[in-house]
Amino acid sequence: MNLIKIQAISRKEYYHLIRDFRSLYLAFIIPLLLIFLFGYALSLDVDNIQVVVVDHDQTDLSRDLIQKIGASSYFHVIGQVADDRIASRYLDDGMASVALILASGWTANIRADRESQVQILIDGSDPNFAGITRSYLTAFMLRYNQNQLLGFLNRRGMEPIHPPVEGRIRVWFNEDLESRNFIVPGIIAIIIMIVGAMLTSLVVAREYENGTMETIRSLPVPAAEFLIGKAIPYFIIGLIDVLVSILMGQLLFGVVMKSSFWLMILASSLYLGVALSLGLLISSVTKSQLVANQIAVLITYLPSLLLSNFVFPVENMPRILQLVTRIVPATYFIDILNGLYLRNLGLSTLWPSYVILTIMCGALSVLNLIVLKREGL
Amino acid sequence: MASEAVAVQNLVKRYGRFVAVEQISSSVQKGEIFGFLGPNGAGKSTTIRMLCGIITPTSGAGHVAGLDIFTQSEEIKHNIGYMSQKFSLYEDMTPFENIRFYLGIYSVPPEKWKERTHWVLEMTRLENAKHRLTRELPPGWRQRLALGCALLHEPQILFLDEPTSGVDPITRRHFWAFIRQLTTTGVTVFVTTHYMDEAQHCDRVVMINEGKIVVSGPPSRIVQDMFTDRIDADLNDVFIQLMTRNRS
Repeated sequence: MNLIKIQAISRKEYYHLIRDFRSLYLAFIIPLLLIFLFGYALSLDVDNIQVVVVDHDQTDLSRDLIQKIGASSYFHVIGQVADDRIASRYLDDGMASVALILASGWTANIRADRESQVQILIDGSDPNFAGITRSYLTAFMLRYNQNQLLGFLNRRGMEPIHPPVEGRIRVWFNEDLESRNFIVPGIIAIIIMIVGAMLTSLVVAREYENGTMETIRSLPVPAAEFLIGKAIPYFIIGLIDVLVSILMGQLLFGVVMKSSFWLMILASSLYLGVALSLGLLISSVTKSQLVANQIAVLITYLPSLLLSNFVFPVENMPRILQLVTRIVPATYFIDILNGLYLRNLGLSTLWPSYVILTIMCGALSVLNLIVLKREGL
Repeated sequence: MASEAVAVQNLVKRYGRFVAVEQISSSVQKGEIFGFLGPNGAGKSTTIRMLCGIITPTSGAGHVAGLDIFTQSEEIKHNIGYMSQKFSLYEDMTPFENIRFYLGIYSVPPEKWKERTHWVLEMTRLENAKHRLTRELPPGWRQRLALGCALLHEPQILFLDEPTSGVDPITRRHFWAFIRQLTTTGVTVFVTTHYMDEAQHCDRVVMINEGKIVVSGPPSRIVQDMFTDRIDADLNDVFIQLMTRNRS
């Protein structure tokens, strides 16, 4: 390995970068854009559910129920309407996702110990959202009934009863169940893959397009030095992107990494190695900047987003897709990020993913060398 | 083989069924200017690229600077300079930055960088343009820079593939004066061209057509041998006679 040659190639690559700013813009705008978009727009949390109310009963008790719903942090009562049909139009227009209808005589039925019903309509066009809303409402009604019962016993001068079994549920690793806490680390995986592969997808193709590949062939430039020299400037850019992403996650979204910073840097470096060698390989094979760029975006962005356990759980996928997720590098990096960010794990548990990323990086580098050797380097 | 800068025997290059170079055998003595002549597509560039270690020959044997062209292409590249008209400098870099790049790639010891940089800028008369982008320079200047870069590591042999095509006559004359001067320092020059007037500058020439050598020797002797009856004949007549005869 000749360090002077590597340095000469890296410096040359650095000049290309600063003379053509477009690549540098991409290198820093893409991360910011993705963090903003995913961080603010992609929230899987269900709260602030809009409720429209029709109260035909108009008693203290019915007003109490409505007030209790509105007091919950999950629901927001947007208003009362006089007619059921108006409420259903609210659902049609998407202005509310829940309609709560209290028939007249509701309170009278309760007082007379007769069965008494509240009609609740949920907008089911987003099944995931509707399911969660339904369990919130079920829990709410259960609690409401329990309180009614306790009040009833109290009024009769009886001892309050205690439920025989109480479930003490605690959530580990992401105590507040904030989807942001796993989305922000996941964005880092997507950013590194896109930026790394997209920028390097241009660099060998550019030599072919400018006719300078012939220059390189005529010079004593071994394939390994050529690859490493080309990768170094982009490796530095990638690491800066990682640091920016960690910092933005912390400042904008309060997502703080719990485990070791250096384990994070090690994982990012390996994953970045995979992204850079993938980009270089695409570039050497296609020899066209335009084609290489499009392929790079296509084969990095979608798989990293869809097939990496980031937003869509792998367990729910068909078997064949589950196998595909095993070759998506982001799967392993996101596994590491979840471990480092949420579970505070170390190498003793996460090492298999580190090893797999290392193998992927090595295998892609060997492929790169084979392609370049065949091209006469 | 010590006195031979280049020696090849039965060199063949095939691309599939197409034979680009067929059984070429030749040698170049140290310190001479050797001309490799032939029409476009005759196999000149293929041959020079095999000698420079850029492509591997299909069969035959060859040594450049005493190194095997099959197994020691990397070492060959360190010992020769190669310049081609097709071949480009990095145009988004300045002459100074291009020179630095070549110094690094040729692994010239860092303590010599300053001296070599100065030498090239002086030789190419680019001292005042060294911080301008190469793409802004006139073609003649870029050609001088390319030549300078190929000589940065003080190679024993200089390979020039159509070095003067697309360059004006004055620049061409300067170029040949410089090449002459270079051989006085012991450098061997191997040059391909299809300008016959340029071939007069060579100590010895080889003419090839369709991948085969058709004639070789010092230019004046070739002309005399072919046109014993004419005193005004020159290499152009030889070239046209040989190439048309071959075609029919």
